[in-house]
Amino acid sequence: MFKWKKLGRVFNPVDFKNTPEWMKEFAQAPSTLEFKDFIRVYFSCRPKADKNGQYVSYSAFVDLKKNNLFDIIRISQNPILNLGKLGTFDEFGTYPVSVIQEDKQIRCYYAGWTRCESVPFNVAIGFGISTDGGTTFQKQGDGPILSYSPNEPFILSGPKIRRFNDKWYLWYIAGRKWITANGNPEPVYKIRMAISKDGLNWEKLDKDIIENRIEENEAQASPDVFFYEGKYHMLFCYRYSSEFRGKERGYRIGYASSIDLINWERDDSKAGIDISEEGWDSEMVAYPHVFKLDNKIYMMYLGNQVGRYGFGLAELETK
Amino acid sequence: MIWRKKGLIFNPSHYKLPNNCKEFAQSPQVIVFSDFIRVYFSTRATDPSNGKYLSYVAFVDFDLRFEKVLNVSSNTVIPLGNLGCFDEHGIFPMNVLKEDNRILAYTCGWSRRVSVSVETSTGLAISNDNGLTFQKVGTGPIFSSSLNEPFLVGDSFVRNYDDIYHMWYIYGSTWLNETSKEPPARIYKIGHAISIDGYSWKKQESVQIIPDKLGIDECQALPTVIKIGDTYHMYFCYRQATDFRNNPNRGYKLGYAYSKNLQDWVRDDANAGIDNSESGWDAEMMCYPHIFSVEDDIYLLYNGNEFGRHGFGLAILEKN
Repeated sequence: MFKWKKLGRVFNPVDFKNTPEWMKEFAQAPSTLEFKDFIRVYFSCRPKADKNGQYVSYSAFVDLKKNNLFDIIRISQNPILNLGKLGTFDEFGTYPVSVIQEDKQIRCYYAGWTRCESVPFNVAIGFGISTDGGTTFQKQGDGPILSYSPNEPFILSGPKIRRFNDKWYLWYIAGRKWITANGNPEPVYKIRMAISKDGLNWEKLDKDIIENRIEENEAQASPDVFFYEGKYHMLFCYRYSSEFRGKERGYRIGYASSIDLINWERDDSKAGIDISEEGWDSEMVAYPHVFKLDNKIYMMYLGNQVGRYGFGLAELETK
Repeated sequence: MIWRKKGLIFNPSHYKLPNNCKEFAQSPQVIVFSDFIRVYFSTRATDPSNGKYLSYVAFVDFDLRFEKVLNVSSNTVIPLGNLGCFDEHGIFPMNVLKEDNRILAYTCGWSRRVSVSVETSTGLAISNDNGLTFQKVGTGPIFSSSLNEPFLVGDSFVRNYDDIYHMWYIYGSTWLNETSKEPPARIYKIGHAISIDGYSWKKQESVQIIPDKLGIDECQALPTVIKIGDTYHMYFCYRQATDFRNNPNRGYKLGYAYSKNLQDWVRDDANAGIDNSESGWDAEMMCYPHIFSVEDDIYLLYNGNEFGRHGFGLAILEKN
C-alpha cells in the first residue's frame, strides 16, 4: 500500500507572463526524462481558444533542478513537435507525449488529434525521434504508429512507453463508445496495452486490462507503470463518463498491480493519494506519472480542470 | 484485351431500395451463385440532420446471363456504424469474397472530418446467410492508416491465390490545400497487402504499385484483379485531383495493368480494350470497375457518368 506525501504545485503556466503564445493555458500529462544536471518534464499546453472556443494543443517541457524540483531552470521556447499537415491525424494537437531514452536515442510516443463532424475529435498514436537531445522531435511519418482496430474503434490516446525485460511496452487508452450526455457526445475509454520487439511494430493485447469500478462507462486514462519491490504497479486515473467536469464525478487516481505485466489486479484503496481539502488539487487528481530520482520515488500529477493550472509533485513515503 | 459493351444494366431510380436510398448504384461487386449472380453496390440516402449523403450497401440479383433482374434487396444488408465510428457516414464500396461456408465483406467506411471532408478505413464483416446480411467483426476497422499511409485507406479488393490473401487498396498521399474554386482535394494511390487469415494484414506500406500516368497528382482508385491463364490483370480508375467532377477531360477513366507474379505490375492503359463511349451514359466518365468470371465468360461491371448516379453497366471480354 502506497502513501504519497504531497509537496505542492511545480508549474502553473498562468504564473508565467513571458511564455510563448502557444503556452498560455494548461500544463497536462507530465512525463519526465532524467538528464545529468536536471529533470526534464514534458507536458502539453494550449494557446488561448479560437473564436469558436476550440483549442489546439502542443507539447513542451520545463527543466527542474535535481536538488530542488520546484526550481524551474528552463522553459522550452518552441513546441517539441509540429502539428500535422492538412488532413493528418495530428493536425489539431499533440497531447499527451511519453518520452523514453534507450541507448542514445530519445523517442516520443504521442497522441495526435483531429476534428470530426459528428463527434468533436478523434485521436491516434504517433511516433517521433529526437536528434537534438530531447529539445524537439521529428515525426517518423505523417500517419500514426498505432491506429484503430475492430475492438479499438477510435480515440487511441494517452500513450505511456516503457522498456521491461528487453521488450517495449505501450500502455494507452482506446475509445469504447461515444455516449450522449446532456446533448453532447462524450467518449468512454479503457486502458489497453501492446507489446513490441522494436517499438515500431506493435502487437495489441486486444483486451481491457483494468476492470471497471465506478460504472460500466467509467473512463480510464494515464496508465503509468513502474517496477518496485518485486512487482509492477500501475497508477492511472478514472472518472464518470458524464458530468465529470466538477469535483463529484471528476478524475481520481486508481491503482493496480501485476507480476507479469499482462494480468492486473485493481485496488484503488492502495493508490495512496486523493484530492486535497482545498487548493489546486481539491476537485480532481489526474494523469499520474511516477519516476525515480536519487533513490526517492516521486509522482507528478494534475489537479483541478485536468491541468488547466499546471501539475504538482508528491513523494512516496517509505515504510 | 477487347471488351464488348452491353450497356447500362441497372438504373437504381427504377427500383425501390432499402434505407430510403434513391439514386446511385456505385462500385458493383459480385458473388456468383449456382443459379444467379448477386451484385452489391452502394447507393445513397440523405442524412436528415444536415442534408449530406449517407452511402448504404444494397444488392440486385440477376440471372446467369444478365438478361433480367430477379430481385432487389429490401432490407439492410449491413448497418452503418454508431456515433464516432469509422463507417458512421457510409459504406462505399464493399468487396465480397465467397468461401466455403461464409462470405467475407471488406467495407470502405466513411466518416466526416472538419478540415477535410472525409476519412476512410477498411472494415471486415462476415455473412452466414448467403450474403443477405453481414455482421461486422468489430466496431472499428481491420485495416487503417499507418506511419506512411496517413489517411484515406480504403477501396479494398481481396482475392486468395495459393492460400494467401492479397488485398489491393488505396491509401491517401496528400490533401491539397483548398483554392478559391475548390475545397481541399485528396490524392490516393494503389497499394498491396497480404494476409494468411484475411484478418491480420501486412502492408507493403506506402509502396505505389501502379505508376502514375498523369503525374504525382493522379488519383488512382478501386483496383480489381483477375487471373487469366498465367497472367494477373488489374483494372482500376484514375483521374486528375481537381476539377474532375464536371470536366470530362479530367474525370475518371479506366486504367489497366498486368503482372506475372503479383509483385511487379506493368501499366498498359493502351491495351485496356475499353474506353469512354462517344455519347450516352458512359461518355463523360468511366469508373469503379469490377472484373469476374461466370463459367467461361469474363465480365466487367463499371460505373459511368456522375460516378454511378444513374447505375452501372456491363461489358464482356471478347474471346480470341
